[in-house]
Amino acid sequence: MNSLYMPKDSLIHSLDPRTKMLFVVFVVASSFILNDPALQLVFLVALFPLVVLAKVVKPYLISIQFLLLFAVLIMTVHGIYNPIGVTPVFEIFGGLTFKYESMVYASVMSFRILVIGTAAVLFVMTTHPSDMASALVKWKVPHSFAFILLSTFQIIPIIAREAKIVMEAQQARCLDVKGSLIQRVKNLVPMFAPLFIITFMKVHQLSYVLECRAFSRKGEKTSLRETKIGSLDYTFLLGMLGFLAFEIYLKLFMMGSLQLTTDALLTYSLFGTWIVFGFMIIKFVVKQFQGKIGGAN
Amino acid sequence: MAAKAIEVNNLTFSYPDTDEPVLKDINFSINHGEILGIIGPTGAGKSTLAMCVNGLVPQVINGEMEGTVKVNGSKVSESSVAKMSEEVGFVFQEPENQLSQMTIEEEIAFGMGNLGVPRDEMLGRITHALDQVGLTGFEKRSPLALSGGQQQRLAIAAVLAMRPSIMIMDEPTSMLDPKGKNEVYDVLKNLKDYGMTGIIIDHEVERIAAYCDKVLVLHEGEVQMFAPSDEVFTNIRQLHELTLNAPQVTEFLASYNQTFGKDVKLSTTLEESVNNFESACK
Ligand SMILES: Nc1ncnc2c1ncn2[C@@H]1O[C@H](COP(=O)(O)OP(=O)(O)OP(=O)(O)O)[C@@H](O)[C@H]1O
Ligand SMILES: [Mg+2]
Repeated sequence: MNSLYMPKDSLIHSLDPRTKMLFVVFVVASSFILNDPALQLVFLVALFPLVVLAKVVKPYLISIQFLLLFAVLIMTVHGIYNPIGVTPVFEIFGGLTFKYESMVYASVMSFRILVIGTAAVLFVMTTHPSDMASALVKWKVPHSFAFILLSTFQIIPIIAREAKIVMEAQQARCLDVKGSLIQRVKNLVPMFAPLFIITFMKVHQLSYVLECRAFSRKGEKTSLRETKIGSLDYTFLLGMLGFLAFEIYLKLFMMGSLQLTTDALLTYSLFGTWIVFGFMIIKFVVKQFQGKIGGAN
Repeated sequence: MAAKAIEVNNLTFSYPDTDEPVLKDINFSINHGEILGIIGPTGAGKSTLAMCVNGLVPQVINGEMEGTVKVNGSKVSESSVAKMSEEVGFVFQEPENQLSQMTIEEEIAFGMGNLGVPRDEMLGRITHALDQVGLTGFEKRSPLALSGGQQQRLAIAAVLAMRPSIMIMDEPTSMLDPKGKNEVYDVLKNLKDYGMTGIIIDHEVERIAAYCDKVLVLHEGEVQMFAPSDEVFTNIRQLHELTLNAPQVTEFLASYNQTFGKDVKLSTTLEESVNNFESACK
């Protein structure tokens, strides 16, 4: 509730935050090395066991939905309109044709988003924010920067709660927060002004408190949470290195002979995102509908 | 130790945007192990005075200061707030503004970590601090998921774990309901048993009378009274002139004396008042 962190007991959770940060870097690098839709898809699928291992499948699927929105948009718009495409693959109503080159381009881009998104979600959900902060400190990042990062995670629920209070207070003064969309947008101003001031004041107060807790004291600091690099971390790092080497090998020597990307693959992945997207819309509509009915009763 | 725990001499302070000083020529001192209560109407300068003791004023909150404040014999102005925090703990009014960590144990560990306390010792101190404020077993919970009274006690625990010898609390109970107030005052009573020196600011005269050794009455930046709490609270006339009240029992006896022209000895505790009243009625 406090942040995206999901406290679970898993191998991934027990990895050192630094290992996991390197993992994110590794995934980002890989997503650029493997600039082929088929390989990226394989890579994406290969990441999924880690999600399962971290026991965060459900929250992962929920958050990845939003990235899928981007994927659908990119695949569809680029597939049709990107000027680099020449070879038509198939046509949909209205004479719009998806072209091979543009589809490759769009797929690489959207799979890259999904792959990086998966790694980022995995990292955030399995890493305690304070661990992240103390890991950064071990990497000689200034203490106050690490703290800023940490408090960002903390301040979100505080702002959310404050927002609720302000909203209720303004409603009590007859501010219409449930009216038409335009009205609601207009009403954001009387919402945000006090919210901004309250947050500012809270941060100000917090700075006094931190001062009284010796925050700006010079000298070495210690932490309750210890992060240690163990054999598990080394195994993981070695695995990543091996994988990286394999990717580079694949890229340098095999690309000529290996041609996994086909029209069918591109088309199916496009359809795949459409179908998932369709499900999301249906779910959303049903929810809205249920809300309406529930409200009428 | 010859030095007083806190010694304030000729302290005058004004904020940059005020014409008149907020604190005017303040003088007082308290011994080790004493609890001082500061009372006074709002705007009297109580919080400002308290913040002078740990250096927050004028080092972080700017203004013009004259006079000296000494803690355990050394001048506050020659040290930093962070350095002072090893000796002086400060608890603020709003519970949730004082919490910045994800779990309760980390909240308590935060101050210690800044002081460089080794991890093994931290664990012991956390257990002890939680025990002192009656929050044992809450280590892994989120500070935001506590009640106001619990949050305030947590804030106190976080300060206690840093092992200061002096504790300042600025209206620690004003945001709390009666139960929460009792919880915090019970902690205060414990502190006394641990031999800590304390300053508490509160509008609750009943509790100030019950828990504090000395009371300082501040009014428009000036010290109006500074004496053992019995002495302050039995001086009803002066309190009323300053728009303050004594505890109810004392008020009762004073009002009884005045209305019926009697001369019952005033007291601040219920038991003593009952006895005084009984022997006067005979
Ligand atoms: N940061 C500031 N800048 C300027 N003036 C201030 C500042 N803080 C307080 N004051 C003024 O100083 C005076 C004393 O304030 P202070 O907060 O010390 O009073 P207080 O006795 O603690 O009151 P309360 O019981 O309401 O907490 C008030 O008149 C207030 O307006
Ligand atoms: Mg105050």
